Amino acid sequence: MTIEANPNIPEEVRAAAADGTQLRYALMEMAKGLDDIIALGRGDPDLDTPRHIVEAAKAAIRDGRSGPTPVKGMDALRAAIAGHMRAVNGLPVDAENVMVTTGGQEGLFLAIQALIDPGDEILVPDPRYTSYDDAIRRAGGIMVSVPTNREDAFNLEAEAVEAAISPASKALLIVTPSNPTAGIVTEDRLRAIAEVAIRHNLIVIVDEIYGKIVYEPWRHFSIGSLPGMAERTITLDAFSKAYAMTGWRCGYVAAPANVIDAMARVKQVTTGPVATISQWAGLAAINGPQDCVGEYLKVYSARRAVLLDGLDRMGFAYGEPRGGLFVWADCSSTGIHATELSYLLLKEGRVLVFPGTAFGEKWREYLRITMLEPIETLQEAVERMLPVLERYRL
Amino acid sequence: MKTPQTLSRPLAQRVAGLDDPRAPIATAPDLPASVLDAACSALDRGETHYTDRPGIPEFRAWVADHLRERYAISVDPSEVTITCGSTEARFVCMTRLAPPGSAVLCPGDASRIRGAADLVGASIVDSIQDDISLLYITPDDYRETSIELLQRAEENGWWIVYDLSFAATSAPFHPAQNEKLASRVVTINALSGRLAGWRLGWMAGSEMALRLRAGKQAITICTTAVSQWAGLEWVRTQI
Repeated sequence: MTIEANPNIPEEVRAAAADGTQLRYALMEMAKGLDDIIALGRGDPDLDTPRHIVEAAKAAIRDGRSGPTPVKGMDALRAAIAGHMRAVNGLPVDAENVMVTTGGQEGLFLAIQALIDPGDEILVPDPRYTSYDDAIRRAGGIMVSVPTNREDAFNLEAEAVEAAISPASKALLIVTPSNPTAGIVTEDRLRAIAEVAIRHNLIVIVDEIYGKIVYEPWRHFSIGSLPGMAERTITLDAFSKAYAMTGWRCGYVAAPANVIDAMARVKQVTTGPVATISQWAGLAAINGPQDCVGEYLKVYSARRAVLLDGLDRMGFAYGEPRGGLFVWADCSSTGIHATELSYLLLKEGRVLVFPGTAFGEKWREYLRITMLEPIETLQEAVERMLPVLERYRL
Repeated sequence: MKTPQTLSRPLAQRVAGLDDPRAPIATAPDLPASVLDAACSALDRGETHYTDRPGIPEFRAWVADHLRERYAISVDPSEVTITCGSTEARFVCMTRLAPPGSAVLCPGDASRIRGAADLVGASIVDSIQDDISLLYITPDDYRETSIELLQRAEENGWWIVYDLSFAATSAPFHPAQNEKLASRVVTINALSGRLAGWRLGWMAGSEMALRLRAGKQAITICTTAVSQWAGLEWVRTQI
């Protein structure tokens, strides 16, 4: 039975089932109307923005440093980001290669608007972060899926990328660490993918927003640092996840200077510059002590262990989550469609998780579960989910 | 290390017609202490996470109340979305209300919508023709012309954007006062001027409100939290 025809699922969820982003929001809206929910849905870190960043923003507010900035962002912040990306990511960039964006998601929107003409194909690993679909569709781009799989921890293969290339292929979108799978594209794979990109003159758009949240022994690697890649790579990042700054809406893009110029022309007529106070906060984040990033990573690492233990108890398989804030769990052992299962877990278990179908049409046997609650709450969530699974498992 | 200047492939054609960004207009935001306090208090109590996608409920309620009190029109807070300035509101309206190939009728200053229209593939016209999908008017447009065009909007089922941001005129006229038009009118406004750097605006009303909200979410998810709290204090004390 299709989800659209399943009478066990309420109309608001069924109506949104065909659009991954709307499906997630429908579930979040439903959760808002219920009491005592443990929310393991949205990717919003529960940890606080580090105090030194908050204090820097407050100082800017008190000092009256809140007037509008250039559309590309404050010069000081662009220079600091460039320095950070040179030092940490190995990207050959200066301030002219950097623009500040209203969160990471806007960076992708602007890049697509600046690069993709109607009919251009963009290769997208499957499953995918479906919030990017709208930007691609509105530019007239055509998404072409590149398969990944659990057995390979959702790493991306150069051979799979090359097999998906056609004469209309213009760009490859990589999200590493991945939302939703928590897989990473490892350095060896990225080197092979770079060769494919150069051979076929592909642009690579790489979302590295979870790049500072990678678990031992794995390492994040930036494809834009490889020889011959800087002139074809657009690197997206943001302060949102690593520094727990989602509400500040401050991200950044590194790209060839003419791409930055084009994106700025688009940004001028779509959203304008980033809120100035958020830019001061971003400057404090990037110039200040980085211990907070490591401390937060330790917190997430401990939570990840608890969550994986819970998944083992539930009989869920998973690809090793190597980075990011999620676990992408295979719930096929229940025999229940993921959309229905997520609804049952919400309604009867009071736990909000997202169905795999919110991240690609075929992922009806997967759930995306965040680790953005304290360990005790995650343990409680597992205890709530177990009896629901027991009750409905086919 | 050589920094990259040029992409290995041509840019999208749509960006060719867009102007280079303007330099920001210098302002010295000497804001009331209560607004600064509200912003700092919000940060101190941890308002640093995503807000509700459409914006904090208190601000949306204020917008609905304001439209009712100022213009005697009825907009539910659920039909209000807080945006990153009026720029985002205008662009989102273009994406949802002006399909590619359609025309936007603008009897007045079109400079604020020209780039957005170019991006979505709509044309801007200043006289009536067959392919109009959206009427864009402001309080500064000649009133008799606006009223005449609103009649045509009613006859032809056009969407209407009434943009209050930057308006020099403050008459209590509003197109949604006509009940037959109300479900097709989106009101846009912003806290520009002294709050320009906080990037705060809104779009309110119409039967497309939820789709407009989804359009905003697809670009920036939600509007900066601290800006919303500062803006809420501003509107409560200054408007």
